[in-house]
Amino acid sequence: MKKFLTAAALASLATSAQAEDVTLQLKWVTQAQFAGYYVAKDKGFYEEEGLTVTIKPGGPDIAPEQVIAGGGADIITTWMPAALAARERGLPLVNIAQPFKEGGLKFTCLKDSGVETTADFPGRTLGVWFFGNEYPFYAWMAKLGLNTDGAEGGVTVLKQAFNVDALLQKQADCISVMSYNEYGQVIDAGISEDQLVTFTYKDEGVGVLEDGLYVLEDRLADPAFVETMAKFVRASMKGWKYAEANPDEAAEIIVENDESGAQRLEHQQYMMSEVAKLTAGSDGKLDPADFDQTVATLLAAVSPDNPAITKAPEGMAWTHAVTDIALK
Amino acid sequence: MIWLVGAVLVWLGAWALNVRLAASAFGRTRAGRLAVATLFGITLLVLWEGLVRGLAVSPIILPGPSVIGPKIAASLPTLWADFVQTVVKGALSGFAIGTAAAFVAAIAIDRSPFLQKGLLPIGNFVSALPIVGLAPVLVMWFGFDWHSKAAVVVVMVFFPLLVNMVAGLQATDPLHRDLMATYSASYPQRLMKLRLPAAMPFFFNGLKIAATLALIGAIVAEFFGSPIVGMGFRISTEVGRLGLDMVWATIAVAALSGSALYGLIALIESRVTFWHPSQRK
Repeated sequence: MKKFLTAAALASLATSAQAEDVTLQLKWVTQAQFAGYYVAKDKGFYEEEGLTVTIKPGGPDIAPEQVIAGGGADIITTWMPAALAARERGLPLVNIAQPFKEGGLKFTCLKDSGVETTADFPGRTLGVWFFGNEYPFYAWMAKLGLNTDGAEGGVTVLKQAFNVDALLQKQADCISVMSYNEYGQVIDAGISEDQLVTFTYKDEGVGVLEDGLYVLEDRLADPAFVETMAKFVRASMKGWKYAEANPDEAAEIIVENDESGAQRLEHQQYMMSEVAKLTAGSDGKLDPADFDQTVATLLAAVSPDNPAITKAPEGMAWTHAVTDIALK
Repeated sequence: MIWLVGAVLVWLGAWALNVRLAASAFGRTRAGRLAVATLFGITLLVLWEGLVRGLAVSPIILPGPSVIGPKIAASLPTLWADFVQTVVKGALSGFAIGTAAAFVAAIAIDRSPFLQKGLLPIGNFVSALPIVGLAPVLVMWFGFDWHSKAAVVVVMVFFPLLVNMVAGLQATDPLHRDLMATYSASYPQRLMKLRLPAAMPFFFNGLKIAATLALIGAIVAEFFGSPIVGMGFRISTEVGRLGLDMVWATIAVAALSGSALYGLIALIESRVTFWHPSQRK
């Protein structure tokens, strides 16, 4: 009887611990870009922390900032420029962890088109992703002093679909690619690396922080929420490190969890191996120097047409409060 | 709270006023009918503003008219450029090509049972293609500029017009056909004097449906690659930037253009099919 009571008490303890529900809204569809979260869920790392985590995949028509503003998620992954833009527009998002140390956004050109360096850009047609992903590009063009409105001496900008057709069809001289996704698609399409000239945003001095974890500022006033987030970040980073060490298993987990059924294992394995290079340098804690570089990049290109932010972010745009507990 | 109560009070007051206006002698004049409609529109805007302010809705979810209005005024050059790109170049040119193609195809189908058996099912098939599947392919074929958007519009408007037109051409009265036969009218004569006029009410029905489809098609097609101008580009980009005021400004322009296009078609219809019972005053 006593044993039974203890068991019951333990069980009730366990259920009260499980009462911590966390909903995560991803920036994009289920793919290895988010391997850490799926691995943490699949391998039970969240459960060990007493969390019940729901992962909502995103897509081309989903802005995570809008989802969190509407109360559809507790925490989101997004790029820092989009988060800072949201902050300036009255949605106080706070970076609580930064699993991506490096950015995967690149810019690739066909050598055939004659582009060798950035000096060859004037008069070219360049493919850019919008929907909040355009800020680094505009910062870069501002840095190079190239206008983007199609006038003489500038560049023509295309809103590129989320694929590489524009380059393959030669509709654009250069396109945006993610190192872990579209770059592989270009290679898969039969174009070898030495036929391409690829620019990395960070090397061009316009790097921005990509996938970070963001929550709403007012919720951080609640210590219980900070505690829950610390558990979430700890388990997520454990997931990321596991995924880096076991890329093939992580890719399988992604394909299993992909409800759309659109992901292929080989492509996810490729993506995982590339994403691992970006996350390897991070223990989850945001490096303030990276934050400053992102802000400097964005402020370099303030114009009425492309306002990511118009002034340095005010208030608490990032905090170590969560990672300090998580990494203790 | 005061906004909430105020908005509801304004709404109830305007409602009561509108009921009295509509019942009065003034309500039966042209100006009266216009006043009733305008009052209704203003009430909706006041209610919207009141709810947004009263319930403290974040401008990222839904901005109020007081934010959207100044945004429209401040962005007129951008909105105009988007309008020209999407409505004039994309939607209207596609609409014209699609309409002309459907018109000719319908006459050909009507003339030949062979085509009727072959072309109509193909038209049916094409209309069932989802736009999200078609648009990326057409962008690949016709490039990023408005040509691919016009192509999407052509595909979208072709079928509703074709079906209406084919039905219209078959809608002649047997007595009228007999009369034409007793005159020993030739095919062109029968077509021009009897069958095309009889088909016009159907044709305009199709046009009205196609007008809204054309606008939807042109806007949605821009989601799949476009130059950096256009209403679809603006909407998808500004949503990503959380510039919901600009999104709503563009939506307002789209709604206005759609209504104007519809109104224009209705006006032409009343001139062309003045003989039809539905046009009697």
